[in-house]
Parts: sequence; C-alpha cells; structure tokens
Amino acid sequence: MNTYYAANLLIYAGVDIIALLALNLQFGVSGIVNFSFIVFQAAGAYTAAVLSLPPDSANGGFQIYFGGYQLPFPLPWLGGAVAGGLLSIPVGLVVLRKLRSDYQAIALLVLSIITNEVITNARPLLNGAAGLALVPPPLSDQIDPNTSSYQYFYVGLTAVCVVLVFVLVNRVVNSPYGRSLRAMREREIAAVAIGKNPVQLKLTVFIVGGVIAGLSGAILVGFIQLWAPSVWLYPETIILFAAIIVGGRGNNVGAILGALLVPVGFEEVTRFIPTTIGPPGLIPALQWVAIGLLIIGFLWFRPDGVRPEPRHVFDGAPVLEDVDHARGT
Amino acid sequence: MDLYVAAFGFGLVSMSVIAIAAVGFTMQFGITNMINLAYGEVMISSAYVAYYLNKAGISIWIGMIAGALFGAVFSFLLNRIVYAPFLRKGTSHIGMVIVSLAVSLMIANLLLPIVGYYNVSYQDTTGGLIRAGGIVLTTNQIAIIGIAVVLMLLIHGLLRYTRLGKAMRATAANPTLARNCGIPTQRVVDAVWLITGALCGLAGVVAAMNSDSFAIANGAGFLITALAAAVLGGAGQPYGAMIGAVIIGMVTELSAAAWAPEYKEVVAFGILVAVMVLRPQGLLAKRGALAAAG
Repeated sequence: MNTYYAANLLIYAGVDIIALLALNLQFGVSGIVNFSFIVFQAAGAYTAAVLSLPPDSANGGFQIYFGGYQLPFPLPWLGGAVAGGLLSIPVGLVVLRKLRSDYQAIALLVLSIITNEVITNARPLLNGAAGLALVPPPLSDQIDPNTSSYQYFYVGLTAVCVVLVFVLVNRVVNSPYGRSLRAMREREIAAVAIGKNPVQLKLTVFIVGGVIAGLSGAILVGFIQLWAPSVWLYPETIILFAAIIVGGRGNNVGAILGALLVPVGFEEVTRFIPTTIGPPGLIPALQWVAIGLLIIGFLWFRPDGVRPEPRHVFDGAPVLEDVDHARGT
Repeated sequence: MDLYVAAFGFGLVSMSVIAIAAVGFTMQFGITNMINLAYGEVMISSAYVAYYLNKAGISIWIGMIAGALFGAVFSFLLNRIVYAPFLRKGTSHIGMVIVSLAVSLMIANLLLPIVGYYNVSYQDTTGGLIRAGGIVLTTNQIAIIGIAVVLMLLIHGLLRYTRLGKAMRATAANPTLARNCGIPTQRVVDAVWLITGALCGLAGVVAAMNSDSFAIANGAGFLITALAAAVLGGAGQPYGAMIGAVIIGMVTELSAAAWAPEYKEVVAFGILVAVMVLRPQGLLAKRGALAAAG
C-alpha cells in the first residue's frame, strides 16, 4: 500500500467523518432532513478554493471565477467554514420556520438540484461545469505537496479537525441543549409546551451543521485540488444519509462507523470490481442501486442502525415496562 | 413582441404537460399521504417505454397509451411492494420520504445501463404547423393541449360525480372514518395508485414529446416542475395543481423568452420558494404545508 493511497483513504475517511458528524447533529439528533447537505459542503469547498487560488488571469486564464485572493493557510479553511454557516442562514430562514418537516425535506432536495444547475450554467461565477482546478494545497509555498511527509502532514491536519469536531458535537449532543434537540425531534409540540423554541433550535443546529459541512468541503478541496458541479450532485447527500442510517441515527459513534462503512468501506470494496463488465456505466449504476438497497434494507430490518442511539434513563424515571403495563391496564 | 406571443403558445403546451403531471402527483399525495419522490423517474421510465415502441415503428399515440398503462402498473407495484409495507410497519413521514428518494435513485440507475446515457427523441412527432395570430404550434402540440383538457375534465368528473371519486375524497379527508363508514379504503388506495400512475406515465410521454430530446437525467426536472405546481396550488388539491400548472407553465415559458431557456427550472424553483415563504399552504389548501405531519 503506497503512501498516496493510504493518505487518500485516511483523508477521505476524515472528511466523511466530519461531514457525517454534522449531518448526524442535524438529521439524527434534531430530525432536520437536510437533503441539501452537500450544497453546504460545496459552499465551503468553493470558498476555500477561491480564497487560496490566484486571480483567474493566472495560469493563462483558462478558468474564470471571482475572487482569487491567495490567502495563507488557515484562512481558506476558516473561510470555507464561515461560508457554509452564512449560506445556512437564508436557507434556514426560508425552510425551517413555517414548513412541515416533509416539505422541508423536499424543499431542500429541490434546492440541491437547482443550485447545482445554476452553478453549472453560470460559468463566470465558478467556472461552470468544468469547475475549479489547480487549487493550491495549504502551505504549499513552504512544504512540497508532492512528498510523502506532506501527505502525512495533511492527514494530521485532517485528524486534528476530526477530533475538534467530534469533541464539539459530542458535547452538544450530551448537554441539556442536546436533550432539548432530542425532545424536539421526538415530539415537537411537547418540546414547545416545556418552553423550547423549535425554530430557534433548528436554525442554530442548521447553521452549526453548515459551518462543519463547509469545513469538511474546505479540507477536501485542499487535498484533491479541484472542485466541480459533478462531485456534488444531490445523490451524494443520499450516500451520507445511507451512512447515518447504517451507523445509527443520533449516535455520534454510529456516525463515524457509518462513515467508515458506507462512503469509505463501500467505495473501496466496489473499487475492485472491474468496470468492463456489461454495458458501459453498468457497475457505477449498480453501486447507486446498492446504496438505495442499503437504505431500504436497513430501514426495514434494522431502522436503528448498527449502533443505535443510547437510551438515556435518569434516576427516578419510571421503568419503561411499568409504563407499558400501566398503559395496558 | 412576436417572441412573447410565440412563448405564450409554448406556455399553453407547457402548462398542459405540467397539469397532467402535477394533478397525478398531488392526488397521490392527497389521498395516500405519500410524497412520492420517485414520480419523476416513473415519468421518464414511461417515456422510454413509448420510445422503444415508437422505435419499433408503432405510432406515438399507441406508445402514449402503453406509457400510461406502464406508469399505472409500475406505480401500483411500487406501492404494493415498497411503500405500503413500510407504511404498515409504522415508518414515519420522513422515513417514507427517504424511502421514496432511495427508490428514485434505484429506478434511475437500474434504467441507465438499459437505455444508456444518450439523449433520444421520438420519431415523427411534430406533425404539421398551425399558425394563429403569431402563435405557431405543431398539430401534436395542439393534441397535447386537447389531451390535457380532456383529462382534467375527466378528473373533475371522477372526483365530483362518481362513487369512486367520493370514496377517494373521503379517504383523503380521514382514512379511519372512511373505513368505519364501510369504504374499502385499501381498494380505493389501489385505484388511486393506478389512476395517478396512468397520469404520471402519460405525463412522461407528453413531456418527452414536448422536449426536443430526453435522457434519464430529465427525471429530476420533471419532478421539480410537478412539485412546484402541486405545492403552488396547495398539496393534495387537484384543482390547485391545475392552477399551479397554468402559472408555472406560462411563467417558465415567458421567462425563457425574456431571459435564458436553461433557467426554466430555476424560475419554477423561484416560484416554489416564494410560495413557501409567503403562503406555505398553497393557493387553495387551508392547511397544506402548515399542518402537522401524519
């Protein structure tokens, strides 16, 4: 196993873990079905790209985009995170305030399809369908990005972000605030009755998730050095949902497990199936079919996932069996 | 000015196509309480059924009937095999939306290796040109408008004047109460999937006829326009969907003339956002998007 392959695998795993921790906070813990999650990741990636790229007249001007500020390392990543959060505000204000939860889901799905279409067609904005290429990796002016030590340095940077995000998200989920979120997910009216403001809770979680999604996009674009509409089509969000459902909704460890099983494990295993079998495009198409089957299969046979959300029971709370018994009589 | 008069003509065709799709979608949602995100993919599958018949030398009008039948059977089976078991299991509203999205992904990708990535189009579907006061339409486009008008009248008749229509409205309003009144809601739901599936299949064929060419990727676009019209009219409201289709069809075609044709779906989306902000319940529904789920 060569260095590049190992680094590639680890960085993809890190990016997927970060993204899934954010999606788990939104979907698993708070019940927001964010079908446009990938858009926020894309916002972070594009922002990080235009912040670190030189002006578009460089490189012979073969691509056109706005910005091109050539900012030093941590700024593009921070910018990506901020962009994810900023984009979440208007979207959240439109979608999360009045709409019923299934309407929220379809509105976000449509948003994801349309945003991709607009970015593809509006070339002067972010170079259209061809996307942005030659994005400078972080600190590439100080360390040669083509060495194996740089690869491990990047893995290290990603790992630091994974740990930071995990600690943050874990603290939110296990705090009284996280309990409010779960209360809202389980029964919104009851949460309102005890004085919680679901719109405020949802908006906050949506923005925090957007920030983390933006960061994950920024990390990814720094490594793969290109970003185009074809890498953030709406089915990419469905893979992330599959990972959450497989891992266990509402469980952060489950989200990490889901990241390792679905986007990383599944892609790595199917990579070795020769793509020359059958008509062109058969194997990639069947991979998507398998993702669909994975979702439907898990929702049918094991809706709580591999690692179900832990049940929190407090001292003095009535035992569930007793409650059931009391209800039965 | 001529450009806008011509665009008005295309708007008439466009609204007819959208009306067929949106009425089917909204009835599915209103009566079975199921947001079927695979609707666009069923449309495109039916369009391909008609395409292969057309390619074999069969008239597109027979292909259209075949597409409608295919859509009906496909939707019926989809409900029986996937959706109904999940609903019986007590899967939440959101769970059902995710299931239907997964189904949509699977249909598109099962179809892809069979039909290929290439854009295809029907043969001999244009017919002669008819001009009337600046509006230029083909005879087939006139036929599409005619089909849509007849279908809308049939839906109106079905819902208002037949026992089945009455049973459908009762099931939509309160399924438990309807069952207690002796309405066989299970059979009513089956009938709804067959009827709306036929509308869906037919809509797929006319939408494919109305565009120069089509490919699998168009399924998402079909879904968006149907969704926009249905939500604009008030989800679950067949008459609302008709009004929604008129508005979306006309506005998108006029905007294509005034601005850029590649942003048609963006305009439809803009209308959708405006409705969701200003009047989430839609034009006709009293509750619609505002009501608590399930």
